[in-house]
Amino acid sequence: MSTLIIALVLGVFFGFSLNKAGLTRYHKIVNIFRFTDMAVLQFIMTALTVAMIGLFSLRALGLLTFPNIPATYVVGNLVGGLLFGVGMALTGY
Amino acid sequence: MKTILDYIHRETWSPYVAGILLGVVAIAAVWLSNNLLGASGAFENLAGMIGKAIAPKAFDNLYFNFIMPPGITYGVMMLVGIFFGGMIGAATSGTLMWGKKGATNSDAQWKRIFGPQVWKRWLLAFLGAIILEYAAGIAGGCTSGLVISGGMLIAPAAFIFMGGMFASGIITAWVIYRRRY
Repeated sequence: MSTLIIALVLGVFFGFSLNKAGLTRYHKIVNIFRFTDMAVLQFIMTALTVAMIGLFSLRALGLLTFPNIPATYVVGNLVGGLLFGVGMALTGY
Repeated sequence: MKTILDYIHRETWSPYVAGILLGVVAIAAVWLSNNLLGASGAFENLAGMIGKAIAPKAFDNLYFNFIMPPGITYGVMMLVGIFFGGMIGAATSGTLMWGKKGATNSDAQWKRIFGPQVWKRWLLAFLGAIILEYAAGIAGGCTSGLVISGGMLIAPAAFIFMGGMFASGIITAWVIYRRRY
């Protein structure tokens, strides 16, 4: 139960950051693919870097363990990615 | 304090600041609940729930029994949070369009490319979302569940997915925009 509440609270911050980075707007998403607005990429890469540094340092300190890492199945990941890009450029998700 | 409040009221943040916030949220998810961020899986949980209620036979398969079990999961709660978080974000910057005129087709660039019709916006969003959700199901995650959550754990899947996503995204955008690319 308490993990569900944590999920809700984390989701609120997640959605908030997405909105403030402009990811809730169609043109922001499509314009990365047109190379005219790289804000989304800057946003994702910053989040990745911060999370990587934080997670790997916390694990090195023994404060947390990693959950299951998303499975690698090259064809599925690639085909999924290729289809996903089409949807992303169409809807601006 | 005033500067912070002013910053919260700004419509778009620097992507670096918003990115740091998301990074901290991602760390918190692992630390507090040993879970990852994600959005697309929740739709499958919900679809499974509806499916099991309407057509239990058709949904009694490996995928909905083991890979994406139906029910109010961690992901579903997060999805609810994302919805309200996004609304709070828009409300703080005064751009919340809820119930306002033209809310369903409000993006200037979209209107320029596809036209001002609301039904077109809904149709394309619906079809595109089917593609998105199906693709996320195949790949095992979406931009949040795979690119961000997988990427931060340096999972190879995330980077394969990202490559595919950008390749086809660029091609699709080019096909849609052509001369205006």
